Amino acid sequence: MAENILVIGGGPAGLHAAIELAELGVNVSLVERDTFFGGNPKKFKYKYLFPDLQPADNVIGELVKRAESNNNIKKYLSANIESFKEDGKKFNAVIKSSAGSETKTFDSVIVATGFEHFDPAKDSKYSYQLFDDVIDIKDLERMMGEGNFTRPSNGKPPKNVAIILCVGSRDRHVGNQYCSRVCCTVSVKQAIELREHFPETEVYIFYMDIRTYGFYEDLYWEAMEEHDVQIVKGRVAEITSGPDNTVICKGEDTLLRGPFEIPFDMVVLASGMEGGPQSPEMAEKLGIELDEHGFLKQANVTLSPFKSNKDGIFLAGACTGPKAIADAIVEGGAAAMKAYIYAKKNS
Amino acid sequence: MEYDENGVSIVSNDFKKEIFEEAKKDFRYEEYVKGCLNCGVCTGGCPPHRFFDFSPRMVLQNCKSNDPALVWGMMDEYVWACFQCFTCAMICPFLNNPGGVIAILREISVRRGFESAKKVLKPYSRVLLKLTAYGNQLSPDMIQPDFFPDWGPHIGYASEDLPLKRKAIPMPTLQVTNLAWDVAPEAMKELYTIFDEAGVFKIIEVVDPSLYEIIQDIVDDVRSE
Ligand SMILES: Cc1cc2nc3c(=O)[nH]c(=O)nc-3n(C[C@H](O)[C@H](O)[C@H](O)COP(=O)(O)OP(=O)(O)OC[C@H]3O[C@@H](n4cnc5c(N)ncnc54)[C@H](O)[C@@H]3O)c2cc1C
Ligand code: SF4
Ligand code: SF4
Ligand code: SF4
Repeated sequence: MAENILVIGGGPAGLHAAIELAELGVNVSLVERDTFFGGNPKKFKYKYLFPDLQPADNVIGELVKRAESNNNIKKYLSANIESFKEDGKKFNAVIKSSAGSETKTFDSVIVATGFEHFDPAKDSKYSYQLFDDVIDIKDLERMMGEGNFTRPSNGKPPKNVAIILCVGSRDRHVGNQYCSRVCCTVSVKQAIELREHFPETEVYIFYMDIRTYGFYEDLYWEAMEEHDVQIVKGRVAEITSGPDNTVICKGEDTLLRGPFEIPFDMVVLASGMEGGPQSPEMAEKLGIELDEHGFLKQANVTLSPFKSNKDGIFLAGACTGPKAIADAIVEGGAAAMKAYIYAKKNS
Repeated sequence: MEYDENGVSIVSNDFKKEIFEEAKKDFRYEEYVKGCLNCGVCTGGCPPHRFFDFSPRMVLQNCKSNDPALVWGMMDEYVWACFQCFTCAMICPFLNNPGGVIAILREISVRRGFESAKKVLKPYSRVLLKLTAYGNQLSPDMIQPDFFPDWGPHIGYASEDLPLKRKAIPMPTLQVTNLAWDVAPEAMKELYTIFDEAGVFKIIEVVDPSLYEIIQDIVDDVRSE
């Protein structure tokens, strides 16, 4: 008899885990709360992915297609885990979806519930939602994805754009001391895209540290050398309204200019990643632990990052912390293997 | 006192260390100095930074350097550039308090009667006199060009014909130029007790001994009334 494995969350990590298990002949139940699969990249219509700027559809579309065409995966959309109970080495879960409630027994479980974008409105110094021309990286991804990048205030192309890093990350005021890891690379990628599509638009990036780690550094160099993106060291202290329908970024250029107040047509906030409400919700429902950053806790951050503290429940993707899609996919595969071994041993 | 090319008074390395240790021993220090990522948010929001070569980021960085010479470098002119508005403390993403550190350093400077403290407090000796002796803060007769250059080019005109100008104010005043409001002797005695207990008189004795004597004469008079 085939194993039954539950995968919660249909983003890159959950999709990949489900596909791998299905190919091993496992009966997979893939539970997604949204009306579609693909996770945050799909929800916010990411168009081109770092590091190589390939179309997001190559990755996300491909994963969704593979999952959808595999008959070993039972797909639940607009669904959630209504209740969850351990039963010896197995797990009983009630899955609620538009089709009604279904009770099933599983040999093991993979949690891949991902992250939420930090809401920049929570940090008043950035005046998000106060000024139309202050947007954040997910808004920009969506605008670029939909092909309508213009100033929200007047529908015209901006003369200059400021990208502000570390919004909602590395900031004790908002409760997030950690680095969100991908926003530097996303921002540098967006700066390049902006300069490519709108060569007349000047692009500035305000940073504390540029963390385009590993090979992502190539994008940083490209932004400077090929696209003349202005990279200024200093965190913006305040955003106020300026003359001629501009927004003023005020701060200290700690290396070159000293104090500055520069009017911009548009500001893009590189808001970071949070564990979202789903992480504590999963922790509570499944009886697993939450870490001090608000993400799900890994059994051992180095040895077994894809295990929860509970036997038979495995973790994959951004639910354990900020990471790139490639990492989420790798973890989906690793968690699938672990969940398979656990199921095999106990079924 | 001798000064180096940066206008910083020349003292021994041991003395610099002693001052830095005194600052670090202050019960507030640990709370005010945490990690600093050199981000410049504090300086971006700091009003005097627009006018002087002064930066709360540097205050925090100098402290984090653990180099007593860098901290000493701020003891003369530098710490007096701060407005003590605490914008920096409000906006630092890492919950540092550069303005608070400056308060600690200033207090050391005042307690020890450093030249810079005396110089900065000089124009305020009249305020200190008014405040500690009479429970008033500023009264019209204190507006004099020598003492308030920061009031701008009209200070000369503003300080002339005070009694007449006072009469021209279209609302009730005491019609005197040496007081802004009346303070009852009982209230003054209570103020003296507070100043005694809080060490205010002691500080004045260190930074301005002659002012201290004048104040004490007045205090004695009021107390014996
Ligand atoms: C602006 C931005 C741009 C980015 N661009 C790139 C890029 O170009 N290249 C790159 O490699 N990475 C990029 N990333 C990172 C990338 O988004 C993540 O690595 C990836 O989305 C993580 O995948 P995931 O499956 O772990 O989580 P998610 O994408 O968050 O997917 C989680 C899924 O779980 C579902 N879910 C949540 N809670 C529940 C629940 N209780 N029940 C059922 N389902 C639930 C969600 O609806 C979602 O579909 C970017 C990130 C940001 C913020
Ligand atoms: S990745 Fe860059 S922008 Fe994002 S939190 Fe880290 S340093 Fe800040
Ligand atoms: S307290 Fe001092 S250092 Fe801090 S912002 Fe105000 S003036 Fe600047
Ligand atoms: S705002 Fe805080 S962390 Fe940033 S430079 Fe100032 S003291 Fe350092």
